[in-house]
Amino acid sequence: MDLSIGPEAERLRDEFRAFFDKHLPKDLAAKWRAGAPVSKAEHQDWQRTLNRRGWLGTSWKKEWGGTGWGPLERFIYDEESSAAWAPRLNVPSIDLLGPVLIEFGTEAQKRRYLPPILNSDDWWCQGFSEPQAGSDLAALQMRAVRDGDHYVVSGTKLWTSWAQYANRMFALVRTSADGPKQAGISFLLIDMDQPGVTVSPILTMGGLHAVNEVRVDDVRVPVDNLVGKEGDAWTISKFLLSHERLVGAWIGPSLALMGLLRERLRKPGFDGRPIGADPILRAKAAEVESDLITLRHTAYRVLADELSGREPGPIVSVLKVRGSEIQQVLTDLLVQTGGAQAMVHPQTLTSAPGIAPAEAHLAQQFLDRRKLTIYGGSAEIQRNIIARQIVGV
Amino acid sequence: MDFTYSEQQAMLRDSVDRFLAQRYDLARRKALMDDAPAAEALWRDMAELGWIGAAFSEAEGGFASSAIDAFAVMEGFGQRLVALPYLTSVILCGGLLRHASGSADLISLMIDGRLHVALAACGETLLHSPQHGAVTATKAGSGYVLTGRLSVVLGADRAHKLLMAARTAGAEGERHGVTLFLVDTADVSRRNYRMIDGHGAAEVTVENLTVGADNMVGALDGAAPLIEAAIDRATVMACGEAVGAMGYLIPTTAAYIRNREQYGAPLAKFQVLQHRMADAFIASETARSMALVAAIGLDGVPDPAAVSSAKFQVGRSARQVAYQAVQLHGGMGVSEAMDISHHYIRLTMIDRLFGDQAFHLRRYADLTQLGVSA
Repeated sequence: MDLSIGPEAERLRDEFRAFFDKHLPKDLAAKWRAGAPVSKAEHQDWQRTLNRRGWLGTSWKKEWGGTGWGPLERFIYDEESSAAWAPRLNVPSIDLLGPVLIEFGTEAQKRRYLPPILNSDDWWCQGFSEPQAGSDLAALQMRAVRDGDHYVVSGTKLWTSWAQYANRMFALVRTSADGPKQAGISFLLIDMDQPGVTVSPILTMGGLHAVNEVRVDDVRVPVDNLVGKEGDAWTISKFLLSHERLVGAWIGPSLALMGLLRERLRKPGFDGRPIGADPILRAKAAEVESDLITLRHTAYRVLADELSGREPGPIVSVLKVRGSEIQQVLTDLLVQTGGAQAMVHPQTLTSAPGIAPAEAHLAQQFLDRRKLTIYGGSAEIQRNIIARQIVGV
Repeated sequence: MDFTYSEQQAMLRDSVDRFLAQRYDLARRKALMDDAPAAEALWRDMAELGWIGAAFSEAEGGFASSAIDAFAVMEGFGQRLVALPYLTSVILCGGLLRHASGSADLISLMIDGRLHVALAACGETLLHSPQHGAVTATKAGSGYVLTGRLSVVLGADRAHKLLMAARTAGAEGERHGVTLFLVDTADVSRRNYRMIDGHGAAEVTVENLTVGADNMVGALDGAAPLIEAAIDRATVMACGEAVGAMGYLIPTTAAYIRNREQYGAPLAKFQVLQHRMADAFIASETARSMALVAAIGLDGVPDPAAVSSAKFQVGRSARQVAYQAVQLHGGMGVSEAMDISHHYIRLTMIDRLFGDQAFHLRRYADLTQLGVSA
C-alpha cells in the first residue's frame, strides 16, 4: 500500500497552484468564495484564460485541443481549481458534451461544435429531466419525429441548469415509443437561438436562479445533429455520467469550504470568544472534516482502481451520497458561524452597504446545496444501486 | 497510489482465514475461555505460522515488511471474532518491549508464542490516557517501591508479565513523571475475570513491590509518549479488526435477509431494509478507507490526527453496521447462540477501547487546532 501520487503529479499540482495564483482574477475568486453570482461574461473571460493555457478541455483528447489528462491529473486539477475558488458553471459544455462528441460524434459534428466550446462562443445546457421524468429518466417524453432531413421536436425540459446562459442544448429525446423505454431515446443537439425554444426561469428556494424550464414547440432539428444512432442515448448517457463520477464526490469544493469554515471558527463570535470555542459547533466541525478526509481517501481508492485498470463500479454511488451530504453539512455549519448577518436575503441588500458580503450569501449557499441529494440520481436511487449492485439484496 | 494488499500480505490474510476456518469457531471460542492450556496450544500454532512475527520488523526478529502485515492479521481476526490477546499483548506491549533491557530475548519469546504481556496503565480509561491512573512509586535506594491497584487490566489474566505505569514524579494527570516497569505477574495479586466481549482481563493489585533500573522500560519519567505511540499503533490495529468484522457482518446479513421470508416475501425485497444495507455498506467502506490511510501512516512519520480520525470513523461505522446486523437478524440477532451478537459486543468494545468517539473527535480537533484563534 502506498499513498503517494508520485513526483510528476506533485509537480503538476504545484504548477496548477502557481497558475491560479497568478491568473485567476482576485475579485472573481472572492465572488465565488462568498457564493455571490458570477455573470456569463465573467465566466467566459476565465474560460478564455484557461484555454490560452490549454487547460479548459481537461477531459478532452489532445487532438481536439484538450489536455489529454488521465483521471489522476483531472482529480488534482479539480482539487486545486476548487482550492483557488475558480468558478465552474459550464460543466455541461466542457466536461459532459465535449467528451461525448469526441467519443461518439461524427467528424463533421466534432469540427463544427468542439472549437466553439473551447473558444467560449458556445454555451451548452443539458436537457435531460422532464416534468414526468425525474429519477425515472427513461420515462421522458420530448418527441422527435423524423420528417425528411429533419426531426420535429416538441416537449418540455425541466430543472435545466444555466439554460439562461446557453445558446445550445444537448437533449435526450424520444424517437420511438416501441420496445423498452431506454431503447427509444436518442441524443440530439438543438440550437436554442430560434423560434419555438422558450427558456423560463425557475427560482429555487432563497431566490436563486440556476435552473430553468425549456419548452420546445415544433422545432426543426437537422438529422445531422443526431449523436450516435437513434436509440443510442442511454449508452451515451452512461458514458457521459461516468466522466462525472469523481467530480460528484465534491472533494475539491468541500475541502475549500472546510478551509473557509476553519477560518470562520477562529473569528470572534457574539461573546468575543472564537466562534469555534463552542464545544458543540467544534465537535460538528471536527466530525465533518473527518468525514471529508475519509471520503477524499475513498475517492483516491476509486482513482487508484481506475489507474490500475480496474473498473471501480458502483462504489461511485458511495462518493455521490456522502459527497452531497457533506456539502450540505458544511454549508449548514457555515451559516451557524455567520450570526445574524448570515440570514439576510442577499438580493435585497443594495440599500444596506454595511453588511459584509462574506456573510451575506451563506444562507443562500446552504439553501442551494439542498438539491445535491435530489439531482443526478437522488440519494435514494444511489442507495438502491448500492443495495442491489454491491450488497446484493 | 495503491490501497491493496501486496501479494505477501494477501497470502498472510488468506492463511489467517483458512486456519481459522478449520480451527476456530464460536463454540471453540467459548471453550478456550475456560481452557487455558488449549488456548496456549492454539496460540503457539498461530505463532508457528508467523502471525506474531508479522507484528515485528526483521531487525527485531520478526517478518514484517510493513505495519500493513499485522493489519491484515487483525482484519482476519475481526472477521472470525478471535478472542485471543493479539491486540493487547503482541501489538500494544510488543512495541513497548523494544525499550526494555533484554528486549531481544523478550521479543523472541513473544514471537514464539511463549510470552504474554499486559499493559497496566491509564487507570480507568480503557487505555487512552497514560498520564492518569499510574500506581504510586516511592524512591528506595537506587530503585522504587510500587503500590497501587488497577481495576481493569486487559489481557492480564493469562499474562506472564505486566508493563506497569508508575508515578515517579509530578502529580496525577501530568504527562511527565510516568515510568514503565516490567514486572512478573507472580509478584502482583490478580483477580481474573472476562470482559463483556469474552476477552480476558484482571484486577491487579501491587503492594510494596521493589523494582530496580533493570525493570525500567524507556526513560525515567518519560513513558507517557511511548505509551501514547504504542496505543496509537494498537488503535489502528483495532480499526483493522473492526474493518474485518464489518466485512463479515454485511454479506452475512445480506444473505440472511435474502433467505428469511416474512409476509410471503424475502426480507431483502423491502426497500427500507435495502437502504439500511446500503447505509451499512457506505459506513463500512468509508471507514475502511480512513483505517487504511492510518495504517499506511504507521510506516512513516507518526500522524496522530489521522489515527484519531480513523478511530472516530471506525467506531461510528462499526456501531452502525453492528446495530443493523442485529436488527435485520431479528430475534436471531440478539441470541448468544449466533455470532452476530458477539460481533455486536466486540464492536461496541472496540468503539470504547483506546478512546471512544467523543475522545477521538476532541483529540482530532485539538491536534489540528480546529476552532483555536490564531
